[in-house]
Amino acid sequence: MSEIKTSTTESREPGEKAGPSGARARRWAGVSSLGAIVIVLALLPLAIAGSYKMHVLILAFVYIVVAGGFRTISISGQFNIAQGAFMGVGAYAAAIPGVWLHWSPWITIPLGAVAAAIVGSIIAFPFARLRTVYYAMGTLFLGYVIMNLITAGGKTTGMSTGLGGVKPLFENRTNYYYLGLGLMVVSLACLYRFEFSRIGVRMKAVAQSHQVAASVGIGERGNRILVVAFSSFFTGLLGAFYCHYTGVASPSSYGLGATLLIIMYVLVGGLNSFWGPSVGVVILLIIPEFFFRELKGDLPYVTAAILLIIAFLLPDGIVGLVKLIKGRVVNRLIRKEVATDVDGD
Amino acid sequence: MLMEIKGLTKRFGGLKAVSEFDIDVAEGEIVGLIGPNGAGKSTVFNLITGVLPVTSGTIMFRDADITRSQPNQVAKLGIGRTFQLNPLFPEFTVLENVTSSFDLHPHSSLADIFFNTPKYRRNEKFIKEMAHQILEIVGLSKEANELARNLAHGHQKMLGVARALATKPTMLLLDEPLAGMNPSEIQYSLDAIRGMRDNGITVLIVEHNMQVLSLCDRVVVISFGQKICEGLPEEVRANQEVISAYFGADYVC
Repeated sequence: MSEIKTSTTESREPGEKAGPSGARARRWAGVSSLGAIVIVLALLPLAIAGSYKMHVLILAFVYIVVAGGFRTISISGQFNIAQGAFMGVGAYAAAIPGVWLHWSPWITIPLGAVAAAIVGSIIAFPFARLRTVYYAMGTLFLGYVIMNLITAGGKTTGMSTGLGGVKPLFENRTNYYYLGLGLMVVSLACLYRFEFSRIGVRMKAVAQSHQVAASVGIGERGNRILVVAFSSFFTGLLGAFYCHYTGVASPSSYGLGATLLIIMYVLVGGLNSFWGPSVGVVILLIIPEFFFRELKGDLPYVTAAILLIIAFLLPDGIVGLVKLIKGRVVNRLIRKEVATDVDGD
Repeated sequence: MLMEIKGLTKRFGGLKAVSEFDIDVAEGEIVGLIGPNGAGKSTVFNLITGVLPVTSGTIMFRDADITRSQPNQVAKLGIGRTFQLNPLFPEFTVLENVTSSFDLHPHSSLADIFFNTPKYRRNEKFIKEMAHQILEIVGLSKEANELARNLAHGHQKMLGVARALATKPTMLLLDEPLAGMNPSEIQYSLDAIRGMRDNGITVLIVEHNMQVLSLCDRVVVISFGQKICEGLPEEVRANQEVISAYFGADYVC
């Protein structure tokens, strides 16, 4: 009897191959719970309108997309340590024409997105020659260079103090909240579609073996440039939105520190899961700011502790932990099922 | 001629890995490229498929010059290949390995894929059916949902062949398809290769395993980057130079 048990549990991946009807049910559960989250977020302003909590959520919308964009690039095997700088390109591309040419924010925000995508793809071209740790090192320096170029722009970019007086979009915070929520939903939907279609398959193929991928016609360079351009569009979009919301474009928001924060969100949530970055932002940004504000001074220690625990025990982050527990439960259920089946016979 | 290679040369710094190498392959042939370890067989493959840049010489495929083509362009033209080591995507399942390799025929444009058009959905449905058929042919149907990295070595090699077939190649380059296989797997593979030729695929095989000779219409022997002999399998087997290349000059009497 014990033989039967082990063979079934091994051949069946936990929760994976429950057949087509199971897949449909799981899909429905996913879609409806996402819908519920969006509805709750849409109704939340009734309770917290204008408060600090609303401000935190607007920041969270921005960082969920920027961190999600980082992860999308990573599925092609590229660890982009210039993500903060790409966000900065979007922010400054929106702020500069807004402040000096008095362009409307409704033009400058899309402009920021397009600028980030263009700069991203131009940079991605030579960087597609670099792989693994060399790519990471290259982008580390790149982010530094981009921010230095921006601050070297003299009066036009406001130098190291940043460019103030960026035109606000709205008078009240609730409108920002809804625009931010909308941008996040649309951006995540696009990133999701990108990853879970043949395009994402191509990216993952290139990441696993660029030689094998090329041998079936999946070119390495074109796909690596595509993913950077696509992801940077949304990173730039939210970067531009962010600077119109805060009214300043300041280099400290897009430097190496910002990038490290973004990477922390991704790693804590889970690099290998689409929802990892979102979960990371909830854990490291929303929960501390909502419930533990009095701990402010001690918060870095808590964050450090969380990071160390993740690094040593949970390489796939919080989402990985949830999957692990779910797998255990499903395995136990399967085992019970098999046991009763055999008893019945 | 389907493929004509003239004066192919590859230098790694001071080392001439391949020098003035010529080979012609006609449509429908099975040509063997054999030679001892380190003779430059795999280098020739990597030069044909654009993985390594050519130092000098020309490679023509169907009257088009592909000497400077990138690997994915070579695949697009109809040259499929397998790899000696790591022939697959380890984190994909066996089925995903094949479906992902169906990227050229049918090819879906980025817009079709992103907006999930009927054309893309049709293509994906077709690909899934074809992938199951190919897995049936190479005998991996039962393993379809296993992760590729968990397969046994022989199965990984067969999956490599399945992936190459998914590109609908006119010509297939097999890089040591028999290495590390047990006798029954070898027999199975030899039959499979013959089957491919019967389906109109031209095959160029790199091997140092002499068993592959029985399969070939023509054999080219390479040693130290140079062609030392070319001919029918039995001619090559009897050739003095080939024997000395494999076993050392002392064995030639």
